[in-house]
Amino acid sequence: MTRQTAVDVQDLQKRYGEVRALDGATFALASGEVFGLLGPNGAGKTTAVECILGLRRPDAGRITVLGLEHGAGSRQIKARTGAQLQTTGLYPRLSAREVVELFGRLFPRALPAGQVLELVGLEEKAGARSADLSGGQRQRLAVALALVNDPDLVFLDEPTTGLDPQARRQLWDVIRGLQAAGKTVLLTTHYMEEAEQLCDRVAIMDHGRIIALDTPAALIRRHFQETAIEFVALGEPPRQRLAALPGVRQSLFENGRPTLFSIDVPRTMAGLFDLVTEDALQFQDMTVRQATLEDVFLKLTGRRIRS
Amino acid sequence: MKELLALYLVNAKEFLRDRTPVILVLVLPVLLAIFFGLIFGGDGGDWTLHLGVVVEDSGAAGPRFLDELRASLPGEGFVVQTGTREEMTAALQRGDVHLVLVLPADMTASLAADRPVDVAVLYDSTQGTAAAAGLSAVRDLITQANLALSGAPPRLVLVETDVQTEPRRMVELFMPGMLGIALLWLGLFGTALPLLQQRAGQVLRRLSLTPLRPVTMLASQVSWRVTVGLLQAALFVLAGYLAFRVGVQGNKLLFVGAVLLGSLVFVSLGYLLAGLARSEESMMVLVQVVNFPLMMLSGGLLPVENLPSFFQPLVVLSPLTYLTDALQQLMVGAPALHPLGLNFAVLGGWLVVLFGLGVRFWRWE
Repeated sequence: MTRQTAVDVQDLQKRYGEVRALDGATFALASGEVFGLLGPNGAGKTTAVECILGLRRPDAGRITVLGLEHGAGSRQIKARTGAQLQTTGLYPRLSAREVVELFGRLFPRALPAGQVLELVGLEEKAGARSADLSGGQRQRLAVALALVNDPDLVFLDEPTTGLDPQARRQLWDVIRGLQAAGKTVLLTTHYMEEAEQLCDRVAIMDHGRIIALDTPAALIRRHFQETAIEFVALGEPPRQRLAALPGVRQSLFENGRPTLFSIDVPRTMAGLFDLVTEDALQFQDMTVRQATLEDVFLKLTGRRIRS
Repeated sequence: MKELLALYLVNAKEFLRDRTPVILVLVLPVLLAIFFGLIFGGDGGDWTLHLGVVVEDSGAAGPRFLDELRASLPGEGFVVQTGTREEMTAALQRGDVHLVLVLPADMTASLAADRPVDVAVLYDSTQGTAAAAGLSAVRDLITQANLALSGAPPRLVLVETDVQTEPRRMVELFMPGMLGIALLWLGLFGTALPLLQQRAGQVLRRLSLTPLRPVTMLASQVSWRVTVGLLQAALFVLAGYLAFRVGVQGNKLLFVGAVLLGSLVFVSLGYLLAGLARSEESMMVLVQVVNFPLMMLSGGLLPVENLPSFFQPLVVLSPLTYLTDALQQLMVGAPALHPLGLNFAVLGGWLVVLFGLGVRFWRWE
């Protein structure tokens, strides 16, 4: 890799009592990439991000941010990074513009408040008190605060959670804009589609360590040459017979929803209809699709990212 | 400096745009002081003074004094009872009379021999206002009696048995007392609770992700709250003056100094509590545990001398005792419990201790 490293995390360890929140997490963000950090709840994503931001001190491991380390370099790191956190109540009685202006003044240099609000599509709500904003608008205000200092490195913690589809697309455009401007973005999200769309690379985290790290396309290619056949079974599906159908390489059963990963869709389908003919299976709502990042996630962690 | 000013203004806006703290922290204490002042005898409280007189003098002077007393008193507002010293003392303890005047056995003889006569006055200072008003009425009477006794050098010398405080209207003590309590509340309700809410809303955590120095954040919050303390004092002086003609009699600069020091002490206390409390529920408990004893045992509402000795250690410890004493001295010239210098020194000591503990226990989240 010839590009510069924006964030370098080596063998991070963090325990809370008996729980190992971080257990040897190692990864690096190249300068200018959008990096997705995915994982089920409790996988250690938040702890990792908090350690990188300097909010928590890891028990062991090494973190370098923009070539600096926390401690002596903290103020410089903070000046050049922006973070959107899952905040609930930011100065409820200040207007959106006032909040952005305040944070602007806390940095050595900042973008004009109007420009930042426009970036996240809140310019019409500039005068509204933050207590009166909707959940989605408040979320966008939190993103605005991450951009106010025109940072080199941006942390976005589930930025589109709770947004309506239109607002989500708008935020995707913001993130693509950051990418085009050469910023490094660390994104955590619950939406696999979002990670697939936006991220140059994704890291899948589980039990405090990174279990896969690559571009979304490479992850899918590596883990699935198969096509996914998904349907809703009426009654208990005959798991063993489904798994043994011709062409099926792997099968997953979740809440009566079998997903068969097949390398030979026509023959698998034929076998499936044989089962129906024998009255061994009844199903509805069948989908045949290419494997997605969500499938990779499910395969690697055994859990869907949203429960 | 830019950051400090920005945060200071934000604190001000957040505070002023929310009605609750404005009312609770700024306005309520003033209203309470006025309310207490009116109830416990501001001006013209409508009560009757019951005066007990014990005539131990077997000569003519005692009964004559009693007749003259009855004659000289205005018809309304005074009731004179007589009896033995034991009866009158019991009546005083029951609260049936406010004041007992004892005309001594040697009165006639002493007057004849041109010797001063000690007229004992017994009163119950827990009957604050009545006793105070009664005493001043009795003083007037004695003065008149002395004049009536030929204008010669005073022969009747008033010996006041309860030698606690120079009698004054209760409201004069309530104004500075409530100001002290208001500054305590500034620390509890205006500092500790909002800090906890900000921590719950992760405002502090969010701020800690900016290059803002913690000390700048602290300075902005403390300076805004000290401003509120000064506003509070101004409001008290204004309301006290308009309602009861209670202003600042003493050194104005020292008064401002006492308000500043008091605000800093209790704001530091607020920071310490915010560091100690785990949740909003535990904070409510902590606040009450601190609030109630300090409020009741610091001389702002009840004179500390009348509290049971059991409480005296708390009285001595409470920083509010010293602030109240300083404010009472400076605002209405009340008799000193401690010298002003000592009050300031103890408050300064508390500030150092609370600030240190506040820093020690502070948590961002």
